[in-house]
Amino acid sequence: MRIIGIDVGGTNTDATLLSEDGQVLAMAKVPTNHHDIFASTKTALEEILQVHQGSQPVKLQLSTTLSTNAIVEGTGQATAVLAIPGPGLNLQDFGFDFPLYTLQGYIDHRGRIIQEVDEQEVISVAKQALAEGAEALAIVGKFSQRNSRLEKRVKEIIEQAALPFEQLTLGHQLSGRLNFPRRIVTAYFNARVTKVQTDFAKMIEELQAKYPLIAQVQILKADGGTMSLAESCQRPVETILSGPAASIMAAQALSSYQNTNQVVVDIGGTTTDIAIIVGGESLQQRNGAEIGGWKTLVPGLLTYSLGLGGDSEIHLSEHGLKLGPRRAGTPVALGGNAVTPTDAAVALGLTSVGQRNLAIAGLSKLTNSKYNTWQKLAEAIVDAFVNQLCTGIKEVYQSLENVPVYTVSEILAPPDIRPRVLVGLGAPASVFIPLVGKKLALPYEVLPYHAGANGIGAAASRVTISITLHADTERELLVIPELGLEQTIRRNLLFDLKQAREIAVEQLTNYAKQLGIEDYGEVQIAEEEVFNMVRGFHTVGRIFHLRAQIRPKVYPVVGEKS
Amino acid sequence: MIKAKQRVGLIFFPAFDWCITPDHPERQERLLYTRDQIQEEGLLDISGIEEYRPYLAEDHQIARSHICVPSIERRITESHRIAAGGTILAADLVLDGKVDRSFALLRPPGHHANRIVHGSRGFCTINNEAIMVEHIRQRKGSDIKIAIVDTDAHHGDGTQDIFYNDPGVLHISLHQDGRTLYPGTGFVAERGGPAAYGQTINIPLPPGTGDEGILYVMENLVMPILAEWQPDYIINAAGQDNHYSDPLTNMNFSARGYARLTELLNPDFVVLEGGYSIEGALPYVNVGIILALAGLDYAHLKEPDWDLTRVRQSAAVMDYIQQLVVEMKELWDTRQEVDLKQVFGQKPFFTRQREIYYDTDGIAEQQDEKIKLCQQCAGWRWIYSTAVRARAMTTRIAAVLIPWQVCLECEKEAQTYYRSLAKNSEFDQVFYQDPEKNVYLSK
Repeated sequence: MRIIGIDVGGTNTDATLLSEDGQVLAMAKVPTNHHDIFASTKTALEEILQVHQGSQPVKLQLSTTLSTNAIVEGTGQATAVLAIPGPGLNLQDFGFDFPLYTLQGYIDHRGRIIQEVDEQEVISVAKQALAEGAEALAIVGKFSQRNSRLEKRVKEIIEQAALPFEQLTLGHQLSGRLNFPRRIVTAYFNARVTKVQTDFAKMIEELQAKYPLIAQVQILKADGGTMSLAESCQRPVETILSGPAASIMAAQALSSYQNTNQVVVDIGGTTTDIAIIVGGESLQQRNGAEIGGWKTLVPGLLTYSLGLGGDSEIHLSEHGLKLGPRRAGTPVALGGNAVTPTDAAVALGLTSVGQRNLAIAGLSKLTNSKYNTWQKLAEAIVDAFVNQLCTGIKEVYQSLENVPVYTVSEILAPPDIRPRVLVGLGAPASVFIPLVGKKLALPYEVLPYHAGANGIGAAASRVTISITLHADTERELLVIPELGLEQTIRRNLLFDLKQAREIAVEQLTNYAKQLGIEDYGEVQIAEEEVFNMVRGFHTVGRIFHLRAQIRPKVYPVVGEKS
Repeated sequence: MIKAKQRVGLIFFPAFDWCITPDHPERQERLLYTRDQIQEEGLLDISGIEEYRPYLAEDHQIARSHICVPSIERRITESHRIAAGGTILAADLVLDGKVDRSFALLRPPGHHANRIVHGSRGFCTINNEAIMVEHIRQRKGSDIKIAIVDTDAHHGDGTQDIFYNDPGVLHISLHQDGRTLYPGTGFVAERGGPAAYGQTINIPLPPGTGDEGILYVMENLVMPILAEWQPDYIINAAGQDNHYSDPLTNMNFSARGYARLTELLNPDFVVLEGGYSIEGALPYVNVGIILALAGLDYAHLKEPDWDLTRVRQSAAVMDYIQQLVVEMKELWDTRQEVDLKQVFGQKPFFTRQREIYYDTDGIAEQQDEKIKLCQQCAGWRWIYSTAVRARAMTTRIAAVLIPWQVCLECEKEAQTYYRSLAKNSEFDQVFYQDPEKNVYLSK
């Protein structure tokens, strides 16, 4: 099936039509209407459909800034959090800037309920939240991913009391990972943006009714994968930051090196973003993405941003030269009035864009005793750019090598993440990437520059799902929080890793089918831990902790030369 | 966002793939629940709390505090090297100014490991705190003063052994009375060698001591002693087995009590030692220690089964402790008035004999030790050590030990003695150890 990828960015909305064999058949660009993202989406889609013609079914994949904007701008529904913290850190210390009410109830690290919630308290607190203006609620308990019963019980009490909240988000359903403060933030954002996403989804469905050839709609996520439109209404928070993810996915799709360790460098005007690919998979944030200064549990691609780009400021002194971190303005060679690294490249004839004489004139004005000709200055600027970028890349790898690990074997034999190839994209990439590659002694590839690469990324992304299985054979309990699954382990003495794996894979596969996903490819176990529990001098049970996922992939895109 | 008042470096290494034996208290599972609690509380997201990855300690870093028989390589596993390396990293983080406080939350522990190592005892093989002390001295110079406060329920006998004649180190151990618990030592009368008399301080507490008693000892004995001695650095050997739920001990301390102790002591470095209530204590005690180090609120911390009536200590225990504190304070205050000739004799050498049992490996060691009573320095010494194993050859070794800031005369005597020992076929191996000059010989 052909795929239409649309990325609604801050300035432009990019659309791409991709053929079954990865050819870019059409691209479109329309200005984004910040107040009506649906309108921008519709216009871009209709432009592409003119090229597509025919009635052959297509799949539509969308990356929008809806949730990101709602979160950053503080819009969406008025939302309160009902937290069930039990003892521990003082929640006041976190400085949450949203209404948060604390409920009785306590679950420990094994998922045992130490204290139940109090029905009367739940009702009175929920009424108070309503009275104080809350339209949506997030219900979040500490260790709720080990035992979701208290969160579910609170929801049930509120529903029975018929308290008119428009949305209820339960913390445990959003992630199987441990981290109560992040779960609070994630569930809060999810509840707040649910209506925004649901309204958008309705309009998309209407569009689908108008264009029945749109057979399927997928929404992009921060991890570079996609999810169904229906699922995006349940977990809208996962759609944050999908734009930056789309650009990394575009690089992965366009690169001729598949399944290799890569460092992807996206050089823009103001910043350069670095992403790491290991064995064909983009590295993810260890715990989750950050948005608006808040840490969440939303799976997100790991990207590092350097304040270095084609339009960066140049700081000159007697001792040397430093670039960035801020943007200076439009390069003189392109008709602006700021002398930038782009001007240095233009002046040295490293690129054919812009007006060389303007660049030279601009640089000549900045010469000093150390760099006394424009040539020397221009060369020093290009050198500084390359050096700062190489340092940045090395620091990224250093920080990854220092990521804590918890086993002796990982310390003795860490996985090999070293890059085998440097992949560059963005307008200034053709100038700087070959120099960076040479300095790092890496083969490099400069992807054809696409002003609309994000549209390609949106089209090339594929479904990702991950679930967490936690089984405690002493408690005879197996849970998969993301699916709300809780089941008793029968014959717990015989329960082993093989069974745990089988259940994880089976549940994930069923879930994928339930979502109507057929081409999900390979299911893999991404994390696995087994512990014997010894009490007294006897083994009383085992703890299994697994994460299964659909292996993240991209549809390779044939390098269409622009 | 939440922000630490003191920057804390956490070296967390639970060694999820290492155990002494699968059902041993030192097994893979020990820090599992602690990991879960730390992650769920979101401690590592707090601005100012940073997690670091340990590295493997090198031979020369271990050789500063230990004589491993027959060699370091043969005595330890990679896991021991990582625990020691993580502890060294904890020191470096503070010395380099990257953080204000550090916590080596790792295993295996070390405080029962003596200077001479024939095997493992009390779950310990090499002494993480001792290796840390020697590393700090290497970096900061020989005049540096370091206090170790061992709050494990078991006597920190290994650390005491290593520093018992070292004037640069003050070793204070609070523990359950040795008459009731392994290793059966740590009495008030053990006060240090001739060059560091009074700087080994043992505070044996009666079984049943709780928050009230331990904090009383901290406030009325430990803190005043530290205030007077003025160490440059304080290391807390933070065993967590004074907890009321620990299966191996009989104390009544709580997680909040540990947090308060940490807040009072405000150590530069915390190093995990024992503690085997892996579900009921460790998750909460470790969260409490990290919060206290970071200067954050720990008042909301509580174990699931915490109950004041259960952990309250008896009035008799408190009376005993108050009396003990009075006596020990007096011993401290009058330590310089003691006539050392009465204690260590007037011969050129002070001699002592000891028997040391390695419970983990089943080795009986006998030591004969002589310390030179020198007016210029702490005095060189030698130890003859015989290790008897079931179903294996008996090992007999000799070790010549050079103190920090050794005088020329002692150094010459020691070197001559080492050469004569090396020719002596009575020993399987002969060692020479000078941690200040980093000279480690063996034959």
